Amino acid sequence: MSRRVVHTLVLMLAIAFGGCMKWDYIYTEDFNESGRGLFCLNEGNFQYGNATLSYYNPATKRVENEVFARANGMKLGDVAQSMIIRNGVGWVVVNNSHVVFAIDPNTFKEKGRITNLTSPRYIHFVSDEKAYITQIWDNRIFIVNPKRYEIIGYIEVPNMTKESGSTEQMVQYGKYLYVNCWSYQNRIIKIDTETDKVVDEFVVGIQPTSLVMDCNNKLWTVTDGGYTDSPYGNEAPALYRIDAEKFEIERCFYFEFGDTPSEVQLNGAKDKIYWLNDDVWEMDVTAEYLPAEPFLPYNGTIYYGLTTDPESGDVYIADAIDYQQQGMIYRYSKERELIDKFYVGVTPGAFCWK
Amino acid sequence: MKRILLIALVALAPYFAAAQESLYKDWATRGIDIPEVPIYGQRPMKEIGTQQTKLDSVVLKENISLSMADVLTFNSSIFVKSYGRATLSTVSFRGTSPSHTQVSWNGMKINNPMLGMTDFSMIPSYFIDDASLLHGTSSVNETGGGLGGSVKLSTKPADADGFGVQYIQGIGSFKTFDEFLRLTYGNDHWQTSTRAVFSSSPNDYKYRNHDKKVNVYDEEMNIIDQYYPIERNRSGAYRDFHLLQEVYYNTGKGDRLGLNAWYINSNRELPMLTVDHGSATNFDNRQREQTFRGVVSWDHLRKNWKLGAKAGYIYTWMAYDYKRDLGNGVMAHMTRSRSRINTFYGQVDGEYYIGKKWLFTANLSLHQHIVESEDKNIIRQDGNKAIVGYRKGRPELSGSLSAKWRPIDRLGLSVVVREEMFGKEWTPIIPAFFVDGVLSKVGNITAKASVSRNYRFPSLNDLYFLPGGNPDLRKESGWTYDAGLSFAVGKKGVYSLSGSASWFDSFIEDWIIWLPTPKGFFSPDNIKSVHAYGVELKADLNVVLAKEWQLGLNGTFSWTPSINCGEPRTPADQSVGKQLPYVPELSSTVTGRLSWRRWSFIYKWCYYSERFTMSSNDITLTGKLPPYFMSNISLEKVLVFKWADLSLKGTINNLFNEEYLSVLSRPMPGINFEIFIGITPKWGAKRR
Repeated sequence: MSRRVVHTLVLMLAIAFGGCMKWDYIYTEDFNESGRGLFCLNEGNFQYGNATLSYYNPATKRVENEVFARANGMKLGDVAQSMIIRNGVGWVVVNNSHVVFAIDPNTFKEKGRITNLTSPRYIHFVSDEKAYITQIWDNRIFIVNPKRYEIIGYIEVPNMTKESGSTEQMVQYGKYLYVNCWSYQNRIIKIDTETDKVVDEFVVGIQPTSLVMDCNNKLWTVTDGGYTDSPYGNEAPALYRIDAEKFEIERCFYFEFGDTPSEVQLNGAKDKIYWLNDDVWEMDVTAEYLPAEPFLPYNGTIYYGLTTDPESGDVYIADAIDYQQQGMIYRYSKERELIDKFYVGVTPGAFCWK
Repeated sequence: MKRILLIALVALAPYFAAAQESLYKDWATRGIDIPEVPIYGQRPMKEIGTQQTKLDSVVLKENISLSMADVLTFNSSIFVKSYGRATLSTVSFRGTSPSHTQVSWNGMKINNPMLGMTDFSMIPSYFIDDASLLHGTSSVNETGGGLGGSVKLSTKPADADGFGVQYIQGIGSFKTFDEFLRLTYGNDHWQTSTRAVFSSSPNDYKYRNHDKKVNVYDEEMNIIDQYYPIERNRSGAYRDFHLLQEVYYNTGKGDRLGLNAWYINSNRELPMLTVDHGSATNFDNRQREQTFRGVVSWDHLRKNWKLGAKAGYIYTWMAYDYKRDLGNGVMAHMTRSRSRINTFYGQVDGEYYIGKKWLFTANLSLHQHIVESEDKNIIRQDGNKAIVGYRKGRPELSGSLSAKWRPIDRLGLSVVVREEMFGKEWTPIIPAFFVDGVLSKVGNITAKASVSRNYRFPSLNDLYFLPGGNPDLRKESGWTYDAGLSFAVGKKGVYSLSGSASWFDSFIEDWIIWLPTPKGFFSPDNIKSVHAYGVELKADLNVVLAKEWQLGLNGTFSWTPSINCGEPRTPADQSVGKQLPYVPELSSTVTGRLSWRRWSFIYKWCYYSERFTMSSNDITLTGKLPPYFMSNISLEKVLVFKWADLSLKGTINNLFNEEYLSVLSRPMPGINFEIFIGITPKWGAKRR
């Protein structure tokens, strides 16, 4: 027997050992990107864990992708949602990883993290020792101590169940914080940051998605109008200008039914607003009518993110292409000339200026 | 020495499989027998020109812990995309998507009508007696919509004579318990079988998480150290129960009646991602399912014709709950999703032979789905509660006619025309042509070729899911071409060797993909054109090495480029001309069985090449998954006593303790073990 059996066994073992595989570790790199720059958050694909952080230097036009992973030897996570920088620390909210990372915006190294969040969306600092983190699928806004990276309390939002809970972007005016409530919601709520209580609210249209405040202390939000057959309703979306002091709607600009406006942003002087609605649109904050012509016309793709350079006024637009490949960022001047374009990560959706 | 009988068409492996199966009377007396090579003229007319892979009982009944996902992983050219142990497992057949593989059980389609796909991890292989893969065009013989192919699963009478009992228990790593019980009774007219499988495990296998680090802080909350943690698979527990009841009655005069009823009760947690920084104790992420599938059948057989009718019913209740601890031990729902599916099924089919040269077949099947999907509870603007979801029904009618002609023994021709109606929409006529011919009697070298048109309708979620469903979707369509060669040689009692090589080429238009929208949800659209092509190789060797030593080896190899050949979506689109995400270009399997007396040793090996996670095939840190090699072994000893047969078996999975991923952020278990003890008492049964 035996020879053939032995040969066969040897052959089988050779096949077995013939290959190997690896779940790779990520090698770390050192960065030192001082000076101005633009962070681009690439959401990645839900449940893939492939969110990434890109960094672009507008002066040199150089982009570095996956900087969080390369600097820290670990992944950013699943669905990068938003980022702000405060006092030299970048705070990156990673929604489906249930975490907010604090990073050094020059080296991209992690400085700490806040965990145990339900489904974080945005972070806003009230003081050095108090910040709010909004959530989806939770009717609570989490109060955290950023210095200790710990949760210290909650703000219960009334008339909202856990399952349909949704609080989004935050803007502070004096001691009051304004928050748009988005998914299956239609409200702007007002929070007293001293008592951590919701003190007022009013209804806008269905599903307000963004919130910013201009140079005249006017809040701007845009609704998406819901969707076809939604039990919550479906209507024409609208852009709202809200007087923050009086906490009332000052002007409402209606879009066509079926339009998809989103991503309301301000320029550096906060006297112009920008938004996406197939095209890229620009409007003075004092305007009484929606512009007739877009700032940049639709070019056959669905833009997913938008920002303006607070210093130069350049407009950056994120094209997610098919949402399964590296997206492209287009950089236009105020004069609508293409200055640069560069690839970032999968599904670029949010930006943060340093 | 007996002479070698020549010429077998198609791949001969199925014949060997069938031969083995007939010899495989029960689990305790397995062994490899070297059969004769069948005579070519006796190959079934129904299989003219088809590319088929049959999985035999030896493979299906290897151990009770296996699902069909495990069986396909190690014994076919299909790529199984597994999200973890006892977790969602979908297939990519010839580079297509999971919904492009049509799956039937005893003739009834079991693809989820809402999702279009099938979770193969929910099908215990011990419940399947016959499994066939119909590659590409060959699936048109059975059903429409199989742009990649179809998987045909069925049960069959136990062939019992008197009462029989079989009980197997498995105990394995991660506190895994598998239990299987089968009761059979049979006589000349009646065959009954009751099978039950119960599997449970906390499934909390350890792995080193390469995707995240744990921070060590000083008192000022400065990070002073970081390390990759060794974690357990969090939230991965499962508890699955399956019960299968079968009753068959054979009049002995050409009529057969059958009843098959399969009940599933599954409760599975959904494992957390490697990049999830939440705590498993704070979340409960769970999927529950209760499914009943029942089919009654009647076959009326005569010398040159056959008539069959089937009726069936499927009820599926699925629940997905995502809960969050509010900090006080109370788990609040973040998501509470429910779906109920009722499917009514009816089918008639007939076959009519004219002499030995012609066969005509006709088939008509109807599946009526009634679906209720509740995805989220909300409070409306008026303060009343509402549910986000949809309720829809859809009839799915499919009919086919075929004519098969064998003018001479060496040549077979077949034409199939099929038409389908989903809802109110009809497909154009779906034609398929098949031809095969014997090139050489020496070595039984046979050539075959086929071509077909095919369509796949969007799933109900594609059309109606809220939010995002797109009722304006077009059906996907494709042309597929197949050609191949096969051979078989052998010597009774000494060896048998068979193999096949086939080439395929598919063009699929209007490929449906779900993409994010500016409103924050996903929506499907017909956006891609895909060219999937490649080569599939199969080989099967059975050989007697020495007295009482037998070796069986079979292997598969696939090269399956699946290329996006549509127009660029934007000037920046880099996906055109690239391999589709999560479709390996190369895959291979090898299974070896070495037996000596009543000992048997099985070695299983599979390989998948690198898979891209991006449509542009970028090599970034998250853009690819490394090649995937896996080795499993098992050793079994059968003890034969007068009163019972006993089986002792030990298996080792992931033999080399590889750290690997099948899907991004979904770690797979390292080396793990399971032992099985089986008993088949001989009381009450007439020994055969």
